[in-house]
Amino acid sequence: MEIETPMQTTAMKPEDVLKVIAANRGTAICIPTMTTSPSWRTIAPDDLSIGCVGFMGGASTLGLGLALGCPDRRVIVFDGDGSLCMQLGSLPTIAGSGARNLTHLLFRNNVYHTSGAQGTPGGEGMDWVMMAKGAGYKDAFAVRSLEELEEYLPAILTGEGPIFVELHTGLAEKTPMTDRGGVPFPQQVETMRTRLQA
Amino acid sequence: MAMPESIPAPLIIDTYKELFRAERNGARRKEPLGWIISVPDTHQKTVLAALDKERDVKVLTCSTEDEANGVAAGLWMAGEPVIVMIQHAGLYASVNTLRGIAIDGRVPIFYMIGLLSREADKDPLESKHSMVRWCEPLLDVFGVPHARLEGPDDVKLIPEYYRMSRARRGPAALLVGLATS
Repeated sequence: MEIETPMQTTAMKPEDVLKVIAANRGTAICIPTMTTSPSWRTIAPDDLSIGCVGFMGGASTLGLGLALGCPDRRVIVFDGDGSLCMQLGSLPTIAGSGARNLTHLLFRNNVYHTSGAQGTPGGEGMDWVMMAKGAGYKDAFAVRSLEELEEYLPAILTGEGPIFVELHTGLAEKTPMTDRGGVPFPQQVETMRTRLQA
Repeated sequence: MAMPESIPAPLIIDTYKELFRAERNGARRKEPLGWIISVPDTHQKTVLAALDKERDVKVLTCSTEDEANGVAAGLWMAGEPVIVMIQHAGLYASVNTLRGIAIDGRVPIFYMIGLLSREADKDPLESKHSMVRWCEPLLDVFGVPHARLEGPDDVKLIPEYYRMSRARRGPAALLVGLATS
């Protein structure tokens, strides 16, 4: 049975967002997690991405570490609202780090899609942009359509970070439960390290 | 049992810096010398306070130990020298991330873990405090190599266990027995 959320009828398809990012990211490192991981594997099958599954909530700080270690390269985290709820403290940690090259994208759909679409705490009432601003992000804004995404793309890809972008999206076509596989995490890690040392 | 001794903060920091210098030898990036990713720990507070005055070593304070694991993993992938400083309660709080990133992900993470409330006249395994008593057994369950820092002579274990974590592509930990001075 297809799961519907109020946001699903008007929101962006996450796959469409990922395609726009993939087409414009240049040499940016990308960190998908949970429901963005399966689609990203096929949209951008490269060695400058690390898919984070198995330690929910950890993508944002793994991305922060990469951003601090690679200050001349953009790092883009594809977080989920359920995931961020699990590591909410990462907002002030990231903001306090002053990582100028980090973009934190939040794919918001108000549910834990992977585990059966249970509602997230706070649900539609959460104001993520306000939370990011309150934590001290350099910039934070919401994007509700692909047209807005195109408009904000320069800021998302090159603006001074840390930048937080709340993306109003529907449910992804795949989840880590419906589409398992891909390169094992340890192999992705080793490949990334090798690539960054080259 | 030999009575443990407090380790002076400068001795630990000099050891960190010497280790970081060796790690940086030949690397393209020279600054910072290395990274300390911490969640505040009462037992190691003199080290953390002294590190705040160090210009060569960058310290990032995280909200949680889960985050510290993530940041350390990213830095390691980028080729940066990094040490994680936490307390035993933080180890308990971040077990899933330890498993997911350091063990299953085969990411080297070296931890300095403060044993707050450890009694000087007791072996930690016999402590009346569960936080002290269960720390080593927990590390054993997960197969994490560990040793005790019981005095100034033990600081040589810092480079040893740091390098062990790198060589085995996984976690390694040192337990700080008494509050640093």
